[in-house]
Amino acid sequence: MILSVVASILAGVLCGTLGYYVERLGVVTLCFSVAHAALAGAALAMILGTDMTLTAASFSVCLAFLMGLALRSLTRMRELASMAFFSAFNAIALLMIYISNTTVLATASISSVLWGSVLVTTPLKLAIMISVLAAFLLYTTSFKEQLEAILFDKKLAEAEGIDVRVHILAILLFVGAAIALTLKLTGGFLVFSLLYNPMAASMVVSKRANIQMILSPIIGSSSSLSGLMLSYLLDWPVGACITVSSVIVLAVAAVSRYAANSLLARRAASEQPEPEMGPLRAPR
Amino acid sequence: MEPPGGEAVSLSGVWVSYSGSGRPAIVDAFLSVRKREFVLITGPNGAGKTTLVETCLGILRPLRGRALLLGVDTCSRRIMTARKECSYVPQDFMRPPHDYYTAEQVIRFGLASLKEQPPREVIEEVTRELEIDRLLKRPIGTLSGGQQQRVFLARALIRKPRVLFLDEPFSSLDEGFRRRIAEMLRSEVDESYTAVVMVSHDTSPVRDLADRVVLMSDGRVKSLDRVEGLG
Repeated sequence: MILSVVASILAGVLCGTLGYYVERLGVVTLCFSVAHAALAGAALAMILGTDMTLTAASFSVCLAFLMGLALRSLTRMRELASMAFFSAFNAIALLMIYISNTTVLATASISSVLWGSVLVTTPLKLAIMISVLAAFLLYTTSFKEQLEAILFDKKLAEAEGIDVRVHILAILLFVGAAIALTLKLTGGFLVFSLLYNPMAASMVVSKRANIQMILSPIIGSSSSLSGLMLSYLLDWPVGACITVSSVIVLAVAAVSRYAANSLLARRAASEQPEPEMGPLRAPR
Repeated sequence: MEPPGGEAVSLSGVWVSYSGSGRPAIVDAFLSVRKREFVLITGPNGAGKTTLVETCLGILRPLRGRALLLGVDTCSRRIMTARKECSYVPQDFMRPPHDYYTAEQVIRFGLASLKEQPPREVIEEVTRELEIDRLLKRPIGTLSGGQQQRVFLARALIRKPRVLFLDEPFSSLDEGFRRRIAEMLRSEVDESYTAVVMVSHDTSPVRDLADRVVLMSDGRVKSLDRVEGLG
């Protein structure tokens, strides 16, 4: 249980931080297809009998690498290519599940691929997750100035000689690895919720990027942990519980923001002095 | 200091087209900008001026023809190295009010790709000349359009580029600053051997300072010798 708790917190921090970069770099749909490549890899592992995380990682990292390389030539086609990959990998995943030897959908291996499981965290996988998080933090610290310059203005950074494509490729590779690692915790169909929902909630809370960068991993880890607890208490699938938690956080953030905006607008209106009306003149 | 001579930018028979557009944005363009030359590119809206600058920088790739920046083919991987020796002031520089980066950070981002950082005095001198030295700690989004534009100009000048590309750099500046910055650019060309490629609708501040004017119309480049040739 402790392993699962630690893994869920780390997954939330990793995906929450990556989500910040994914959104700011404008590669949301690209990462969506990378997530589904991991799902296809995990489903294929059931047939091949290979390690699920490793096979998922090889699929997601390979796709991330290919998409990163093709970034420049795809240009306007990028979003459509991402969706084509998404549907293709979804189809592969469903076919693999269909032709796998398991007969019931609720069997342990399939259920862990589809909706996640708290029982899958091993010390080795936790160590790998810590390593990926450490590598990612090292990367963002080492290239802090360049990454900030890209996030500030991608085109200007490119014009000044920063290799924007290489940095996007690096982020995509980290996304590929993070998704493969969290896939068995949240399940293949919901893995991207940990990537996007915390960032979406932080964007609702604040427009300032520096606050979003801090909030996104905090929301990610707290959603992940609360989802895990919910799953433990209610005996529900962990992936769905984590997703529901993150959606609740997003909804609460949106409602709070709306309420705060309305309150501020009302207060501003009440503080405004009444305009003095001059004497009415009869029209000529 | 590097001696003058050689080409900073060279376009030969360049065609550029945006994907999905039936009409090419640049048609059979020939352009040569020498080092230590101040070139003004002007023309009506939609003539392809910004596209031309982005092609020179290698942000846009030619469909046909060849573009060289400091002797490097813009399609080759080495263009990254050439770009490190260039600066660019984009046309769409305005930041939203919630942009929290300070003016100083924005200037520092411009130095992120450089191996050798310019001395502190250079930053102080340029920011003082552009009268933004007291604004450095303020978030960029809270500055006026003119102040933001001067921050981007400072970022470009502090890099001490060999080629400086400016896209409508006077759009938010008043008459006094336009003239003062035009003179700063002229002295960059004369003293630092920088090649300046400036896109501007407003030719008046640089009328007597530019070496050559390039007139663009419908994606075609028409070179004039002097500014007097205009209109």
